[in-house]
Amino acid sequence: MINQQQMLAAHESLEIHEVLNFKTLCLAKSKLMQGLVFDQELKDLMQKDVQQSIQAIADLQAVYAKAPFQAPVPEFRPTPILK
Amino acid sequence: MTLDRVDSIKMDYVDPANSLNMPEMADMTFAMDFLIRVKEGVRNTATALTETVSPDARALLRTQLHQSIALHQEITDLMVRKKWFHPYDLREQYQLDQLSAENTVEIGKLKLFPDDTRRKSMFDRTPDEHIGGNMA
Repeated sequence: MINQQQMLAAHESLEIHEVLNFKTLCLAKSKLMQGLVFDQELKDLMQKDVQQSIQAIADLQAVYAKAPFQAPVPEFRPTPILK
Repeated sequence: MTLDRVDSIKMDYVDPANSLNMPEMADMTFAMDFLIRVKEGVRNTATALTETVSPDARALLRTQLHQSIALHQEITDLMVRKKWFHPYDLREQYQLDQLSAENTVEIGKLKLFPDDTRRKSMFDRTPDEHIGGNMA
């Protein structure tokens, strides 16, 4: 019972998976776009999004760690898939 | 008017004389992309919230939903103020939509990048060769 309270349900974990990946992509895009934007106000707003996204991702990671399929994270990308 | 615009892109797009209004148009596109992303974020977060039971996950998603809604308002206000977005003047919005679609299609037709952008042979070995990374 205690274990169930700490863990996320399977379907919740997948929602967090989707939100986390969405946030990650938004962070990448808002960061990179700042190098292309001319308007200072637009750039500032994108920077605000970057700051908020970094915090959001940290919070999501903390919750995602309670997914039932949670696993130790390697330092680098997964080993290449060879044929 | 239409011919003029199409020509200016076909003519010589590296000539600064032909990039009149370019920063404005680029910013309008980036702002639209930003708006759509934030908007999608609001919807995604709301959907995720309705699928979630755990109190801490719900609390987090609710906070992020409110934050996204606030950011959506900010970007909308900015775009309205800069006249990049006309929610109350749909004729104006229609013209902007058509113009940016046309211009972007023209950009889509340009050859901007070299054919081969693989970085193969730029390095004599790969750092993960010992685990077969060069064969992936």
